[in-house]
Amino acid sequence: MRVVVDLNRCQGYAQCAFLAPRVFELHGDEALLYTPAVPAEQHERVLRAAAACPVQAIVVGEQAGAAGVR
Amino acid sequence: MSSETLFRRITDSRHRPDPYPLYAELREAGGVARQESGAYLVGTYHEINALLHDPRVSSDLRNRTEPDPGLLVPEGLPPAFIGIDDPEHDRLRRLTMRQFGPPCSPGRVDALHEEMEGIAEELADGLAGRDRVDLVDDFAFPLPVTVICRLLGVPHEDVQKLHTWADTVVASLDFAPGEDPEPRRRAAQEARMTMGTYLGELAGERRGSPAGDMLSGLVNDEGPEGRLTDLELMVTTVLLLIAGHETTVNLITNGMLTLLRHPGELERLRAHPELMPGAVEELLRYEPPVQMLPQRTALADIEIAGVTIPRGVPLILVLASGNRDPLRFPEPDRFDPTRSDNQHFGFGSGIHNCFGAPLARLETQIALTTLLRRLDTPRLLEDPPEYRNSPVLRGPRHLPVALT
Repeated sequence: MRVVVDLNRCQGYAQCAFLAPRVFELHGDEALLYTPAVPAEQHERVLRAAAACPVQAIVVGEQAGAAGVR
Repeated sequence: MSSETLFRRITDSRHRPDPYPLYAELREAGGVARQESGAYLVGTYHEINALLHDPRVSSDLRNRTEPDPGLLVPEGLPPAFIGIDDPEHDRLRRLTMRQFGPPCSPGRVDALHEEMEGIAEELADGLAGRDRVDLVDDFAFPLPVTVICRLLGVPHEDVQKLHTWADTVVASLDFAPGEDPEPRRRAAQEARMTMGTYLGELAGERRGSPAGDMLSGLVNDEGPEGRLTDLELMVTTVLLLIAGHETTVNLITNGMLTLLRHPGELERLRAHPELMPGAVEELLRYEPPVQMLPQRTALADIEIAGVTIPRGVPLILVLASGNRDPLRFPEPDRFDPTRSDNQHFGFGSGIHNCFGAPLARLETQIALTTLLRRLDTPRLLEDPPEYRNSPVLRGPRHLPVALT
């Protein structure tokens, strides 16, 4: 599973960093770091995180390559 | 009927089971409507969104031209961060967040995951073999209460006591037209104080002997911005307890009610539990536990949707109406658990967005998944069920369901 975050949309609500803390990490109050190649045991958490994003900035799945984000 | 009476009608308990036609009337009246009291209701998505992100909108009731009489009670606690503005709001919220989530405590909520599943499973065991259950008293209520007490570090034997205080505080949010709100407000202030004193003492016991809970963190951790004062700690933990208590109950209950009314969707979610995170987002849009934010005030005259909201008057943002705005959501009155682009106001938006949202999401996903897996043929016994009085924190008082 691949994941891409549209950082132009991201507003630092940090829901992903609560729900999948091994994949999404906050540095300081707003800077988001994440692991684009998601290990299998984190899939469920990443799906929860993507659904929870208040600005829908997380794209998950095989489409989350370069073409996934406009 | 005149749009000036909308707030009176929305708060009338007869409309509690279905306030949505009144919200549609508010949107059709232009979205921003002056009320007979002088307050302003806002019910369209883009206008609510703009106001939630506008620094000229205050959450501090002390900015009202006619001060709220509840504020004049001298023995009451000062407002918590939900009721104050930046920069003070930001300082208090950040100090509290250090103990709850990223960047300082990123694993706090995730670490509770299995325990929450265990509690849900145990509550579901208690339903097994019964003909008839109340999903509020038997499930939706005990789950979040147990979790928030566990998170803060409140001993199990004190949970009932805290619940009684929390109920008294929440009762003061009720609007009963024609009734003198003063006694209820006074009782709420007293309950907040009693609860704050209890939590302050409990935190005091953890000073120097941390037990891994949030209270321990709040009294022992010294970050770059220091610590909450004793009074700030009391006020803040009272807020967390009440908020973590009275809202998730309604989200779970509204969730089961909605699924029982949409048996096709219920079966789909039972077969595909991986759809539950999206379904919970849709529930937050479709039947949000916090229907409106009644505490805002304009700090200056604000022009919006062709209306000027004057400085100092009550400004009421009807989140649940914005969630059904057809200009933002296609087919807004349809419950669609797979809806995409679902940027709802279930947790508000902007700087005061719900502090506990990730916890509430996870609790509700776990609660509903467990109930669907464990209950074979649940059937609503009352539709609509009896609602609690509050038009703000809206949800059924009981949800009687037949299991056989």
